[in-house]
Amino acid sequence: MAEQTTQQAEQGAERTPQWAMAIDLDRCTGCEACVVACASENNVPTAGEDQAAMGRTKHWIRIDRYYEGEFPDIKVKYRPVMCQQCDEAPCEPVCPVNATYQNAEGLNVQIYNRCIGTRYCANNCPYTVRFFNWFAPEWAAPLNLQLNPDVSIRPAGVMEKCTFCAHKIKRAKLDADAEGRELADGDAQPACVQSCPAEAMVFGDMSDADSKVAKQLGSGRSGQLLESLGTKPRVFYLEKAD
Amino acid sequence: MDRRNFVKLVGTASGGAVTGACGRQAEEIIPLLVPEESVPVGAEQWHPSVCGECSAACGTLARVMASEREIEVDGELVRQKIAAVKKLEGNPLDPVSGGRLCARGHASLQSLYNPDRLRGPLKRVGPRASGQFEAVSWDDAIAEAARALTGVDPDRILFLARAREGVRAENIARFLDAIGTPPATSIGVGDFAAEREASERVFGRSGLPLYEIQDSTLVLSIGADFLGGWTSPVLYSRRYGHMRQGRRELRGRLIHAESRFSLTAWNADRWLPVWPGGELALALAIGHVLLSEQIADAPASVVSIFADVDLEQAAAASGVPVEAIRQTASELAQASAPVVVAGASMVRQNSADAVAAAAALNWLLGCVGKPGGVTPPTEPLEALARQPGFSGDWSERLEQAAVVLVDGVNPAYNAPASQSALAGAETVISFSPFLDDTSAFADLILPDHDPLEQALLEVPAVSPSPSFAAAGEFVAPLYDSRPTATVLSELAEAAERPFEEITVEEAVSTLHSAVESAGSGTSASDFEAKVFQDGGWQGQPSRKPPATPGALGTFEIASKQAGVVFQAYESPQFGSGSGANRPWLQELPDPTSSALWGLPVELDPATAARLGLVNGDNVRIRSEHGALEAPVYVNPAAIPGVVSMALGQGHASYGRYASGRGANPMVVVGAAHDERTGCPAMGPTPISIEKIAGGARLVQFSRQDRDLPPHRV
Repeated sequence: MAEQTTQQAEQGAERTPQWAMAIDLDRCTGCEACVVACASENNVPTAGEDQAAMGRTKHWIRIDRYYEGEFPDIKVKYRPVMCQQCDEAPCEPVCPVNATYQNAEGLNVQIYNRCIGTRYCANNCPYTVRFFNWFAPEWAAPLNLQLNPDVSIRPAGVMEKCTFCAHKIKRAKLDADAEGRELADGDAQPACVQSCPAEAMVFGDMSDADSKVAKQLGSGRSGQLLESLGTKPRVFYLEKAD
Repeated sequence: MDRRNFVKLVGTASGGAVTGACGRQAEEIIPLLVPEESVPVGAEQWHPSVCGECSAACGTLARVMASEREIEVDGELVRQKIAAVKKLEGNPLDPVSGGRLCARGHASLQSLYNPDRLRGPLKRVGPRASGQFEAVSWDDAIAEAARALTGVDPDRILFLARAREGVRAENIARFLDAIGTPPATSIGVGDFAAEREASERVFGRSGLPLYEIQDSTLVLSIGADFLGGWTSPVLYSRRYGHMRQGRRELRGRLIHAESRFSLTAWNADRWLPVWPGGELALALAIGHVLLSEQIADAPASVVSIFADVDLEQAAAASGVPVEAIRQTASELAQASAPVVVAGASMVRQNSADAVAAAAALNWLLGCVGKPGGVTPPTEPLEALARQPGFSGDWSERLEQAAVVLVDGVNPAYNAPASQSALAGAETVISFSPFLDDTSAFADLILPDHDPLEQALLEVPAVSPSPSFAAAGEFVAPLYDSRPTATVLSELAEAAERPFEEITVEEAVSTLHSAVESAGSGTSASDFEAKVFQDGGWQGQPSRKPPATPGALGTFEIASKQAGVVFQAYESPQFGSGSGANRPWLQELPDPTSSALWGLPVELDPATAARLGLVNGDNVRIRSEHGALEAPVYVNPAAIPGVVSMALGQGHASYGRYASGRGANPMVVVGAAHDERTGCPAMGPTPISIEKIAGGARLVQFSRQDRDLPPHRV
């Protein structure tokens, strides 16, 4: 029995997690806590009014909101949108230097050092979740003290986007290793998921049938954004149940 | 050991234990009694703290890591190693936040590291509100402030403070007792005076009731934007999520009545657009219809307030059709676990009555003290019951005041009419860490530490159980600021009216005695250690409904105001306006208009068409109280004839990110107030609108309000 458990643990350690996120739109209130949590965690700079007027703000995660109907029978449809971490990512094949690719855990990673700033990836992304650094980011001192040392500051001339908080996944793995245990469901939590007041977001390993995220994907309400494009996103939306 | 080192030791103990609680390794705990130079690079510590942004007082965790800052020493820039706060998260052990945090909570880090924080005490050298100050030593500043307090009629000393219960409020109360002046008052912002007054009448208890929406099957909210702000947005968002999808096979429904398409309205299954000020009429009308349904055995005093309501008249005054009122009442009557959330996110002249009538509906529904219903306020923690109340006559007292002390509120912004009194007072003393609209009027600014730089103990506005959130000190203050409680003690001493300052540790041991009497069975030292480990304390929830409601009083329905009216509101990102100096919040799209770095006037498409206005055009809004100019956002969800604007912009002075940006809606709203409590109203105010050339630009994150046709592949 003990031997079997050890064997299982070893298999577990070798298993490559397949990261995915489920967002329950019936819980999401549109409060934007995730947006600020993300900026804080990932050193996402503010652009200022003039650059914002040119559409150059960086919001790795945003709330898309659209009104439907007319007053008084008006509704608003909204959802948090971040890099969808597509399995068939349109951004990847157009990068001339392989700065963006899908890793073994299903993350669409962005290598800042490789990026030469062609912006082809952003042009090809149907979700408009990639952001170009037109200028080197600046923080008026002492705002620089808030910067997270676990996340690189992106220089001028490179693309950036949501990483599913890859650094937090890494830290969770290191913590689990140091404690001599397997990574447990919920150990790795992107900042948006961690922060969400309505607990609308769930993150985890979709290849583990017992994980919370895998269970959410089994819900009849689950779907993907612009599913018909065939991008196979790793972000799943549970539609409102009204 | 001096007090600071004692506090640091306590803070270290708390950091260690919380670190453990969060699953971090014990080796990562770095005692802060060792110099900050030896905090290893890359190691993280998590310390409990308390969010100071709104009344919710969420317990948080601050992530602290080694960092460097540049300071000037003998004219040279040198690098100094410091422990810096890198991120704020909710504290999972806190009953209010439950480990979650809102946008404003996250952005409070940009208060700590705001480049426009005051570096030390300042003395005014130019005319009031000119922004001309010079640096002064703490000794001189305190001596001068003490001189101002000496020899003045104590009744002409006015202390304006935030309505938050905790150690800070207790020290303010002790200070005022010592110098013999009346208690501090809030200015009617974020103190829920209408809700508190209504609670006395409806539940016979002071405080704020707790709505158990997580277990409800149908929530009707009247006037309470509980997801976008109000008393405790994180707590109610958590509960809302559970109500929708936290129960197997049971999805609760939400009907929301408000005069604005707020975040709560976004989330509602049905929105009842109420004419501003018509909330009372709506509550009375729903109650009247409920009386004819199969309902609980309600107390006679409650039944009587709904019995004689003229349904047609009430419907007309509320702006909600009779049919919609009947349908809502019928759904409430049929629901197995209904609840009515009663609030005044936008205070009206009849808000206390409106909240009381809406809250009283819970008696008709038989859900007072029931799961999924409303829990009347619990008894306050006795040791800390002295929070600054709200006095409806604060503005008259301000007119009379010789010395005005201001802590944590911004009357010059939230009540612009107070500016003349601030300009005329003999002495104005501010404890603000920023040169804001009000401290610009001050003779002396004695800047407080940031909340993250000091020990705190705060009682949340509402909590699932009796609780408080507490924190030790864990990072050194960046500048030559001082905790306000300490400054008050020094000030009283200098004025030869000393009082004994209560520290957070002393408050915890006092609270231990109170808890002990309830039979918790812990020793004082264990209790204190656990409080600083967990970041607070919570007791057992109480579910004892009072037998009968208090004296409900009479209710009068005013008829609907004609013409175009204006209302101001607190937005989820800026609150009452204090969030405007955080760049993250300036660049956070406004939920309604998607505006960045500015806030528009929101009006409905028909009114816009009549005036020939499109998004981004500028208008001048004029009322009998004042005028403002701002760009227009044509809001497809605005009630025709109701013009809204969020608080946030229009600061005359509030640092580089907020100063001189946009307009302050309170200028137009004027000084109307809730008739029962005196709480400043946020409209409706009759206005005229005219299109003007030029003006400020409307920067929007998304210019598109409607979705495009489905994508073609």
